Amino acid sequence: MAAEPIAPLRGLRNLAILLAIWEVVGRLDLVAGGALPGITEILLRLWEDRGDYPRHVWATLAASGAGFVIGNFVAVAAGVLFALSPVALRLFRGVNIAVFALPPIAIAPILVLTLSGMAPRIVLAALGVYFVTMTATVIGLSQADSRATDLIRAYGGNRRDELRLVLFRGAMPSILAGLRVAAPNAVLGAILAEFGGGGRWGLGAYLLGSLGRGEPDRLWGIGLVATLIAGLSYGAFALLSRRVAGATRAVTLNSAIPDVSVQAGGPALRVALAGGTIALPFVLWWAFIRLTGVPDLIAKTPWGVVDYLFLAHTAETAQARLFAALAETLPITVLGMFAGLGFAFALAVSSRLAPRAIEAFMPVALITQTMPLVALTPLLVLILGRGPSLTLWVTISVTFFPAFVTLAQGLALVPRSAEDLPRAYGAGRWREIGMVTIPASLPYLFAATRLTVPRALLGVMIAEWLATGRGLGNLLNQSRGYLDYGMIWTVAAVSVLLSVVFYQAVVIVERRVLRRMGMATAE
Amino acid sequence: MPLSLNRRRFLGTTAAAGAAAALPWRAAHASTPFTMQAAWINDAEFAGYFIGIDEGYYAEEGLDLTYLPGGPDVIPESTIIAGRADLALTTPDTTIRAIVDQGAPFKIIGAQYQKNPIGVVSLASNPILSPADLVGKTLAVPPVNVISVNAMLQINGIDPSQVNIVPYAYDPTPLIRGEIDASLDFTTNVPYTISQQGVEAVSFLLYDFGFTIYNDTVVVTEEVLAEKRDLLVAWLRASRRGWNVNFEDPDLWPPRWADTWFDGTGRTIENELFFNNAQMPLMQHPDGYFAMSEDDIEANLSALGKVGIVGSRDMFDTTLLEEI
Repeated sequence: MAAEPIAPLRGLRNLAILLAIWEVVGRLDLVAGGALPGITEILLRLWEDRGDYPRHVWATLAASGAGFVIGNFVAVAAGVLFALSPVALRLFRGVNIAVFALPPIAIAPILVLTLSGMAPRIVLAALGVYFVTMTATVIGLSQADSRATDLIRAYGGNRRDELRLVLFRGAMPSILAGLRVAAPNAVLGAILAEFGGGGRWGLGAYLLGSLGRGEPDRLWGIGLVATLIAGLSYGAFALLSRRVAGATRAVTLNSAIPDVSVQAGGPALRVALAGGTIALPFVLWWAFIRLTGVPDLIAKTPWGVVDYLFLAHTAETAQARLFAALAETLPITVLGMFAGLGFAFALAVSSRLAPRAIEAFMPVALITQTMPLVALTPLLVLILGRGPSLTLWVTISVTFFPAFVTLAQGLALVPRSAEDLPRAYGAGRWREIGMVTIPASLPYLFAATRLTVPRALLGVMIAEWLATGRGLGNLLNQSRGYLDYGMIWTVAAVSVLLSVVFYQAVVIVERRVLRRMGMATAE
Repeated sequence: MPLSLNRRRFLGTTAAAGAAAALPWRAAHASTPFTMQAAWINDAEFAGYFIGIDEGYYAEEGLDLTYLPGGPDVIPESTIIAGRADLALTTPDTTIRAIVDQGAPFKIIGAQYQKNPIGVVSLASNPILSPADLVGKTLAVPPVNVISVNAMLQINGIDPSQVNIVPYAYDPTPLIRGEIDASLDFTTNVPYTISQQGVEAVSFLLYDFGFTIYNDTVVVTEEVLAEKRDLLVAWLRASRRGWNVNFEDPDLWPPRWADTWFDGTGRTIENELFFNNAQMPLMQHPDGYFAMSEDDIEANLSALGKVGIVGSRDMFDTTLLEEI
């Protein structure tokens, strides 16, 4: 052990080995006939293209910054409302799940149809930050020190004084941690909208123009800059929260929709609330279209989608196309969920067994989260073809990261003493993991599943759109070209609905299992 | 059409005052806001409009033109339905389908490409020179064009199931590396990028194998046609002038826009030069740019009819072209 370098250096050393392998493989064109460039090739190209970047980066920062501010403002306001009023929290549960689960590639075309200029970019960025910050706010506010609030009340303060003097201060670390996770989401949302939305500036627009050149070093350069911006925005808020709160809390992306059981009121109120929860997303959808004032032909209200799918003279063909697409998409989505979760789990367990290898893998894993998949498509189809294996890999890449972080956190929290027991009886490392570590981290396994499930549909749709030409992703792309507005809205609505159903199914199973095992939901 | 030619010459040589005098119903120097939605990001496909803006041709016609570039999620027709633009450049198959299926209130008032530049691009080392060569091959097609490809295959007596069609995602790398045998794209564009990778490309146009449709059709809503007819004629006139000037020397303009229209697009000026030269024969027409002859309209309708898009002559309005 003495010869081994200390922990941080070890990670760096392994990363250096990994980068060296990448460089050699890239330089020698060993992967897919040169579709993977070497690190130095990418950096040299980045330097050559340096004149192009400032305006694009600036546009991306402007859109994601505006989305970040607006999204967080709404999120904190909503968080405060939800913390004060359990009824409101219950009522908005459907909206919150929908925002958490919605697949951005299905929403981007809708936003470009209904909004103009910078608005689609800002809205997509704002949607990316809302959920994280909202949950962080609710959790932060609900964890206040009751002795401090008692004091305010004893001196005659009301609920508002409590909020101002105690709750907000107490919630600050949690909110800042939320902002930290939210910041990269805003950047990615903005880039996605730039790619499709037809503006001149922004990394997404630059990527689109560069794709036709067939020059992977340029595409990787853009991906690297996107990664850098996302990473820096995370780092900036990490630093801020250390300055302001004096401590950083290890908050990962929270997938638990804060929930309360409304005790007061009879069954009538409960039924009304449940109905309201389901109805509210549709009311907001309807209101959005009415407010934008976009004509009915292109902007479909919930009723417009029902009409398109069930009543119009084209309803039968529309249904047939939708069901055919779903029949192609759903099986591989379910498979993708297990694959993504399995990969995350394997990674989390290996990070216990072989922490050094996993440390080195992490920076690469981070790049896969911010590198636009459209830029990786040629590499992927050259290596994997255009069959189910490609769809599964894309789905794994889209799903595994948040699930891995959650699982790793869960595994790390298993009490040492519990792990020592099997070891004392001579059990091996694997046996110990099977008997103690996995059951003990079950709440985190469920939390990870909640994160994975809606994203699996997103991953499958991306693969269908870019490579396989099947299913829901292809249907969305095709209907865009055919001006089949009814189908565009139908696919968007169905994909959000499916994601919500997947999410809710996990929540129901989770509650049953954890209750039987006497465990609490992980947040 | 001697009248239109005389007018164009006349306008081409006179200044703003002259234009105003020729069109007495519009106040001199007053410029009216007017917005056009292009079909894609800035490239040589839209050179004529860039000239018209830079050289003040639209301003001379009394138009204060706003130019909106396109992108993958931008459906040009949507922009005019939503009233965010007065005029859009579209593909005629989507436009006519929207009129037929959804009763969209569109009129086609001109056509930029007389021959659709879309074609099948392959490598010279594995050449695909006609629809028959596609049998048993893998062809990457943007999902929106699948129906057009199927129609072209059927017109040529080939069962579409004999061709393996996969999505095309903007990047020519899979074609260059042989993962696919051919891809469907603008033949004015992709062969150049492929040549830059040291590989020679060959192509054929769908147009030359029976799928005889226009591209970048100039489309407006019936409402705009009724209310802004004079502005539309002015736009057509200024745009035609822009294209005339562009093709007088196709190598002249793209380099000038390196720091303006083409700044930061991620594409090269050499690529735009290739594009601008390659598109010239696809746009030219004896009656001038944007012309729509009765024969060609008929050819469009019959080609689309074979895909099951049953349009009619009244979806085209050629009367504005006559007023140029």
